[in-house]
Amino acid sequence: MNWAETIVKALKDWNTSMIVYVPDISIHQVTSLIEADPFFHLVSATREEEAIGIAAGAYAVGRNSAVFMQSSGFGNCVNALASLCIPCRTPIPLFINLRGGVGEFNIAQVAMGRTTRPILDLLGLVHFTLEDEHKMDLLMDGALKLCHAGRQPVAICMTQLLHGGKIA
Amino acid sequence: MGVRLLRFEATKLILRHAGNSPIVGNLGPTSDELRHAGHRDRNFYTYGSMGLCSSIALGMALSTTERIISLDGDGSLLMNLGGIATIGREAPKNLVVVVWDNEQWGQTGHQASHTAQGTDLAQVAQSCGIRRTAMVDNLEELESIFRTALDEDGPWLIVAKIQEAEYMPVAPIEPELTLYRMRNSFTG
Repeated sequence: MNWAETIVKALKDWNTSMIVYVPDISIHQVTSLIEADPFFHLVSATREEEAIGIAAGAYAVGRNSAVFMQSSGFGNCVNALASLCIPCRTPIPLFINLRGGVGEFNIAQVAMGRTTRPILDLLGLVHFTLEDEHKMDLLMDGALKLCHAGRQPVAICMTQLLHGGKIA
Repeated sequence: MGVRLLRFEATKLILRHAGNSPIVGNLGPTSDELRHAGHRDRNFYTYGSMGLCSSIALGMALSTTERIISLDGDGSLLMNLGGIATIGREAPKNLVVVVWDNEQWGQTGHQASHTAQGTDLAQVAQSCGIRRTAMVDNLEELESIFRTALDEDGPWLIVAKIQEAEYMPVAPIEPELTLYRMRNSFTG
């Protein structure tokens, strides 16, 4: 399995069938698999905070959910995490394509990419960073287990070294 | 035009007809009044997450066959107009959005909202593909259209013009309990 298939398998293993996303070229490798699989309902949101709201609503009626976004969009959903997911204790995995690191070509992506993980730290949310596929199946399963055990969002940050980066 | 619909009276009407359907309340007075009108496990009060009331309801509607009711506000919906487009795109038949439209940001000092200057949220919904819309300004019309919305396929977006009244006491702030009361009513 490649990295994208490993993520899909982990979502299925944790019965996470509601996936909400804002499109991104790198995570398209995962969301295209999700879109083609009838196990999932993939919802395209117009903005990341909206995606968080939809995912929280699904969880509130008993359906596990996850959100996919880019680090720039993470900046759009901080209040949704802080005032909905954290106080309500919703275990929603956040898959974040982390821009701004090795190979970044766009200065406008650098600051948000660099501050995504410090903001997660300030929010008290656990995050893992994936740079290759080594032990990725174990990490994914463990991250989702921790997410549900802690009843808090857990972020899985995916770098260019994992997915090959933006196709400019 | 003498608008005379009071949100608390309208909320009690919604509760009378909603049966056991989940209701999501917008933050602030809408959720406070929902709690005072009739506390139940299937009331999802929000305490923050500005603008996300109807997005939360959309996530619910896509995850259960039960009717889902969102009690949103004009100011909040204006913060997340893209959320209306997503409701139109997903088109869940079981979603009923009611917008308490007081044409102002009441809690922050009664500043006029965009609906006071001509923004028509029902027309916005129509242009996003939400065909079942209505605008009402009294209890009788609200009751009639809301009962129809419970019976006929949506998604629905009902704008109810309301008159702002004195706020009720702030309801208990218990987000974790709110979410898990709702969730446990589905998962046992």
